Parts: sequence; structure tokens; C-alpha cells
Amino acid sequence: MRLLRVFLLVLPLLVLAAVTTSAHHAFSPVYDGKRTITVDGVVTQFRFVNPHAMMLMEVKDKTGKVVTWNVEFAGRLNLEEAGWNAQTIKPGERVKVTGNPAWQSDQRMAFVKLVRADGTELEPGRAQRLSAIEEERRQRAQQRTQPPK
Amino acid sequence: MRLAAGSLVVLTVACSQAPPPPSATPEPSKLEGMWSDPPATAVGTFCFFACTDAGIEKLNALLDDPANDKRPFPQLQAEAAKYQTDNYLRPRLTEAALKTYPLDPADDPGLLRCEPWGLAKQMFAPHQLEIRRVDANRIELRYGEWEAVRTVYLDGRAAPAEQPASRLGHSIGRFEGDTLVVETTRVAAGITGWDSQHSDQFRVVERFTRSDDGNTLNLTATIEDPWSLREPVVAKKIWRWAPDQKITPYDACEPATDVKRGTSEP
Repeated sequence: MRLLRVFLLVLPLLVLAAVTTSAHHAFSPVYDGKRTITVDGVVTQFRFVNPHAMMLMEVKDKTGKVVTWNVEFAGRLNLEEAGWNAQTIKPGERVKVTGNPAWQSDQRMAFVKLVRADGTELEPGRAQRLSAIEEERRQRAQQRTQPPK
Repeated sequence: MRLAAGSLVVLTVACSQAPPPPSATPEPSKLEGMWSDPPATAVGTFCFFACTDAGIEKLNALLDDPANDKRPFPQLQAEAAKYQTDNYLRPRLTEAALKTYPLDPADDPGLLRCEPWGLAKQMFAPHQLEIRRVDANRIELRYGEWEAVRTVYLDGRAAPAEQPASRLGHSIGRFEGDTLVVETTRVAAGITGWDSQHSDQFRVVERFTRSDDGNTLNLTATIEDPWSLREPVVAKKIWRWAPDQKITPYDACEPATDVKRGTSEP
């Protein structure tokens, strides 16, 4: 039996959710966008729905007791853009999930990243969006340094 | 036999002379079809929701400054958004609107009660926007967010003075070349896309245009509300052509029970 592994990390402004959050409501009253937490457990349910996809997972706490964590994702509208579908995460899968913890309720987080048992990673569409923007910025910087024609 | 043939001739002549039925659907405009989240560019992402020229110019200035090359994009985006708020939006708000601005996101009716947005926010909603001609006199704007549907009347009717205000208001429209111009009034008091309150005197003129390369849909919305705005606000929004997407059910909203007050997003 593996013990619960929860890591509280304070990351400098890892507020990716603010970039393209699923916007049916504001993120900040529910989740702390400046902290991330990682839990390791087994998926029991993945609901591919709007306005937010949801996942339940069973995680062992420090005492070995199994507790249920609730992971909130962007909506199906967002996730489909990143190539996700209802089968992307399956019940029974062991996963390690990183997210922003809820302010007021334990065992709840907003999704940032998921790592499967084989090491493959799932990230939301906003990560792909940010990569494309960084490439655009590199090109802008390059053009800036080129002599005028 | 002769009678039947004669009838056919009469019927054919009658059909060829008859005017088109009033509900005949004209050729689709360049705007029709499915649009979705903006291109994965800096400006597209900045205009994921409502943006303004002031904010776009600030963002471009930040991106063009070599001193910012190492700063993460979300930081630059937040700085441009703050500039937009401080230098464009806030100065346009009246004293009445400033009393509650910015609204605490913990009071958001969508968060607390799963209450769909009013027009002032819905028109900038992220994700899908499907534009479809229903018939000669109507266009529908269908949004993925909240599965909201707006009907735009193209038959030249006037805005109804007596119609009760509603969440999405009453929209009349026309084409100016390839641009769809939509005027909306009779919108119930509510919340704007930048978290200020507005009154039922709110009115907006939206201009939808397709980019020359066909890949993006651009909205320029000119908003007036004598109760909350000293002068009109001109806000923008961008969508990307997404013919393979479809709007999926929006049926699993759960009201938030544990929220923290006094937070705000960058």
C-alpha cells in the first residue's frame, strides 16, 4: 500500500488557468492559482461534461485511509480542442495529478497536469497554446534583431 | 390525359411566376458556420474573452520590448490586461458603476447559482459560436458556453420599445457588404465581461467580419449604457474557423458551495 503523496509547492505565478480558463465562472474564488498540489491515486470516475469535466480518484492519506479527491478540469469544450475525449482517462487507471488546491475544501483541485503509470503526461490545451505563443515570441525577437531590408 | 398535361403546363407556369416564399433562405454569408477559440497567438489569446485596442497595443509593446523576452507570457498578458483596465475601462465607468467595481468574483451568479450570463458577457463567451441563417429574416447565433442562442431579425423591424428586458435582449441586424451588424437593446440589468454592473439601458452594436484569409471571425462591439458608462466602450473578440467542431450539451453545472471572497484574477 503506497502512502498518500501530497506535495504542496508554491510556484511563482503558475497561473496558467488565467490564460484560457474555461470561463463559465471565475477561477479565483474557488482555487488558489499560486499553489499546486500533487496526489497519486486510482481513478474511479471521469465525467467528460460541460461546463467542467470532473474526475474522482481514490487516494490514501497519511494514515492509510482511502479518501476521495475531486479534480475539476476545463470544460469538454476546451478539452476537445486539445484532443481529449470521454475515454482519455479511464476508471482503474493509476495516475499522479497536479493541480491548484481549493481554498475552502480539502481533497479538491483544479487540474494542471496528469502523469499516467507509464510516465506519459496529459496537459490541457492551454499548454499547447502557450508553446505556440512562445514560438511566436521567438520569431518576433529574431525579426527584431535582423537588419532592415 | 390532355387535361392532365394541360394542368401540368398551368402548374409549371404558375410556379415559375410565383414569388419566392417569404421564408426562402438566401445564399449563406461568409460568416456562417462554426467558429471557436481564437488562434494560438499572443493577441488571439489576449482576446480569448473581451479585449480592447488599448490592451492589444500595450501587449504588442510589451512583446516588442527586448527587456521582456525572458518574462513568461501570462505575466505580460496580465500586465496588458491591467493597463487596459486602468487606462481604458475604469475611466469610462460612471460614479454609480465604480461603487461596485470590480465585482467580487465570489458573487458571480454563474458560480453560485449556475445562472447563465446576460448578453454583456455572453457576447464575448469563449469557445464555439455557430452562425446560421434560419430563413430570409433571421440569423441565429449559437454559443457553446451555456448553449445560449440569440436570434437576430433581419426584416427591418424596429427595436421594440415595449418589450420587457431579457437576459439576451432583442437583436435586429443587417448586412453591410460582408459585415453583419447587430443592434441589441432591451437587455436586463446585469454584469459586463469586465465585471462591472450595467443597467437595462445597455445597448450594443456588434460588427462581425471575417478576416481576408477566412481563418478568423472578428467582433467589434460598441457598448453604451448611460447609467454605467461615461462614453461608449469599444470591445473586441476573436474566433477561429472551426468547421469540425460542434456544440456539446451544457448540462452538468454544479453551484459552488465553498468560495473565498476578495480574490481577483490577474
